[in-house]
Amino acid sequence: MDSDLVLDVKGVKKSYGGVEVLKGISFSLHRGETKVLIGPSGSGKSTLLRSINHLTHPDDGKVYLKGEEVTDSNIDKMRARIGFVFQDFNLFSHLTVLDNVRICQIRVNGVERDKATRRAYEELERVGLSDRADAYPAELSGGQQQRVSIARALAMDPDVLLFDEPTSALDPELTGEVVKVMQQLASDGMTMVVVTHEMSFARQAADEIIFMEKGYIVEQGDPQTLFTGAENERTRAFLNVIAEHG
Amino acid sequence: MDFLSFGLEWLPQLLTGVPITLALWVIAITLGFFLGLALCWARVYGGRVWYWISTAYIELFRGTPMLVQMFFIYLGLPHVGIVFDAFTSAVIAITLNSAAYQAEYFRGSILSVPSGQLTAARACGMSKWQAIRHVMLPQALRRVIPQWSNEAIIELKFTSIAYTIGVVEISAIAQDIGSRTLDFFHVFLWAGIIYLVLTSSVASLLGWVERKTWVPGVTTQ
Repeated sequence: MDSDLVLDVKGVKKSYGGVEVLKGISFSLHRGETKVLIGPSGSGKSTLLRSINHLTHPDDGKVYLKGEEVTDSNIDKMRARIGFVFQDFNLFSHLTVLDNVRICQIRVNGVERDKATRRAYEELERVGLSDRADAYPAELSGGQQQRVSIARALAMDPDVLLFDEPTSALDPELTGEVVKVMQQLASDGMTMVVVTHEMSFARQAADEIIFMEKGYIVEQGDPQTLFTGAENERTRAFLNVIAEHG
Repeated sequence: MDFLSFGLEWLPQLLTGVPITLALWVIAITLGFFLGLALCWARVYGGRVWYWISTAYIELFRGTPMLVQMFFIYLGLPHVGIVFDAFTSAVIAITLNSAAYQAEYFRGSILSVPSGQLTAARACGMSKWQAIRHVMLPQALRRVIPQWSNEAIIELKFTSIAYTIGVVEISAIAQDIGSRTLDFFHVFLWAGIIYLVLTSSVASLLGWVERKTWVPGVTTQ
């Protein structure tokens, strides 16, 4: 067994109403790696990401976290080890920033309150928001909310972080601050899977880019190779469109 | 000065109805709260059968007058061998009626909590119950306060219907004083004032709770 293997996704399939959106996807992720999933909308990227921690229950296939299979019976424990950052942040609106970053530590991991507080401040420091600890989510900009949600995920000490289009709900001028935090995480050696249309992030931070279309992985490789000479025609077409508009 | 002298003479007696009125109200609204939560639960999370049972209950109790419900319990049920005293009958009627309304208010507030936050709670490893307890309920309860206050005040006034089955609360005492003094004008003026003081106290208490629990972005100011 490869000891650095964090995530192993094997043959994951998912259909909605007779339409197969994931047609048996497999990929693996090693410690410290950042993989970026790209592809046109509807290609199954988000569904794949949500299948990893069963927010979407896969019809078939298996997901292993450090060699342990993710199943219905251990799902809450597994989710505690898989950080998930949503497109629309989903911060808990009735809790302050500090409590948002503390609550899962305390309620799920059973971390003692003082320790959770210290950890929360560390992670808020990391995303540059320790001075907003007492604010409520509604008092923050979208970019700040997303940074808090990243801190919330980090505070759980996850084995892997999953990002589901973390900048897509943001005004263009706010995407930069979130991308910067993600780049820092990648270079700090965090293990991450990122679904995004931010090609600058993919180019700079990804160890590997996975291009998906119509429920398949069409091509995967390091950013250098993919951006300069993608083998597949559809990958090239997609990257061209993104380059023009993005 | 008739007004004041009437008050001086009869107010103490009218006020003896206040504890009965408040007891009716507090017991019924509290039981109605828990029954309402259960009904709402059944309707939102209970699956098909519970959904229909709960919906039928809510429609039945919202679609018939409370007076009819109270008469049915106090005067109708003894015919099939179920006998409650007047006070208990009134409590049951107000509870059952209020639960139907409270259930609907709870349902509205539960559905207004963004589902993404529950997903986020589950995604960090909370169980379904933890997500409900720590994420959904604190927001749903805050959101329901304005409507719930309204409901509480309506039920407080509805306790006066208990007079019709012989519960000696404020209205019953007022009627009694009225027939003895034949001064219905002043007695019901004073009875009205007592109700107004009670309802406005409840309104300001609940208003205070609403302000104390206010959080930006969860409820509107």
